[in-house]
Amino acid sequence: MNQVPLIEPLPPELVHEPLNWLFAEHYRHRQLCHLIERVGTATVLLTDEAHEILTFLRHDMPLHVIDEEDDLFPLLRRRCQAADELDSVLGALSAQHHDDLNRARALIDSLERALADGRAPGQDRESRRVFTDFALHERRHIALENAVVLPIARLRLTAADLRSLSIRLAARRGLLLDPQGEEATS
Amino acid sequence: MIEALLRNNLDWAATRTRLDPEYFRRLSEQQAPDYLWIGCSDSRVPANEIVGLQPGELFVHRNVANLAPAQDMNLLAVLQFALETLKVRHIIVCGHYGCGGVRAVLDGRRHGILDHWMQRVQRLCEDHDADLDAIRDPETRVNFICEKNVLAQVRSLSRNPFVVDAWRRGQSLSIHGWIYSIRDGLVRDLETTVCDADAAARLATPLPSPRRGSSSRTASRPRVPRRPEAR
Repeated sequence: MNQVPLIEPLPPELVHEPLNWLFAEHYRHRQLCHLIERVGTATVLLTDEAHEILTFLRHDMPLHVIDEEDDLFPLLRRRCQAADELDSVLGALSAQHHDDLNRARALIDSLERALADGRAPGQDRESRRVFTDFALHERRHIALENAVVLPIARLRLTAADLRSLSIRLAARRGLLLDPQGEEATS
Repeated sequence: MIEALLRNNLDWAATRTRLDPEYFRRLSEQQAPDYLWIGCSDSRVPANEIVGLQPGELFVHRNVANLAPAQDMNLLAVLQFALETLKVRHIIVCGHYGCGGVRAVLDGRRHGILDHWMQRVQRLCEDHDADLDAIRDPETRVNFICEKNVLAQVRSLSRNPFVVDAWRRGQSLSIHGWIYSIRDGLVRDLETTVCDADAAARLATPLPSPRRGSSSRTASRPRVPRRPEAR
């Protein structure tokens, strides 16, 4: 077993900087894509990597989608201005989130089959395509969010907005932030 | 199956009594909630539970899509009792993302009597068809209208005669618009709290959205599915 996780965990204190949290989470998604390509193209089954991908897709990724879909995007829709022209971008990103979750489900199925059979997904052309497609779309999606959404969020969100985002990011992960203070408790 | 509910009730009442022998006596003597909750009938949005209130602390009215129409006798009876007898200090309109009632409006199919109930939301969708057009994902369209629906209900309540009378009497009363996500159990404040008649008047005449151009009512294709007129 690998002792060091292949996808780096987020430093817990980053929850106090929600936009940096999301940016760092995007970096982890890039690490995920790299891992997915490795597992998807290898001719031997990389068991540890497969388990790490499964954990991320089952837990981390759905939470990240909620962070954005149910928190950041609605808040941005309220705060952004005409010049930001963000509506259609957010609309397209939401559709991509939906597609990404569907691709993630296909990938989970493929990984579970591979682990059950002890057979590398890279040995099958169709399975390999599931892996490479996921990585391709996810990288494009992250690039758009980093290039457009996060810079506008940094510009438009107030300190109170960021604080409330932090509180909900933490709560979604089972942590309670003091609305005034800095300490998190589980 | 149904017997299980009665057994659960015995268990609940016995446990409550064991933990606090005076609990039901106190509860039976008085109802004095500070809050009126207007929420959706959806079984996944248990009003008391999500805001951590005990029985007796929240007066609750629920219907499909948390509507507060001024013509609904049920709502009016609840509102009058809440304001004039219970003298609640806060009305909370709490919608939720993924509302099935809102989804029914946007799917363009017929749903029988539900279509009549949801006509106001249908009109709301038509008012926002330019916004909806920018959102490709159907679920996000639903969620967008869920938020707009909460704001519309807060606006409607703030003009309701019972509410206006309460403010005239000098009664302390705030109306809040919240939205709940079933996916994470968290409530979001939609920043539309109205505390008095002046704020209500400001809310009643919202400025046109600064982010969007003219209404797409003039656009060439309808974006919100329209049903045959309900009779």
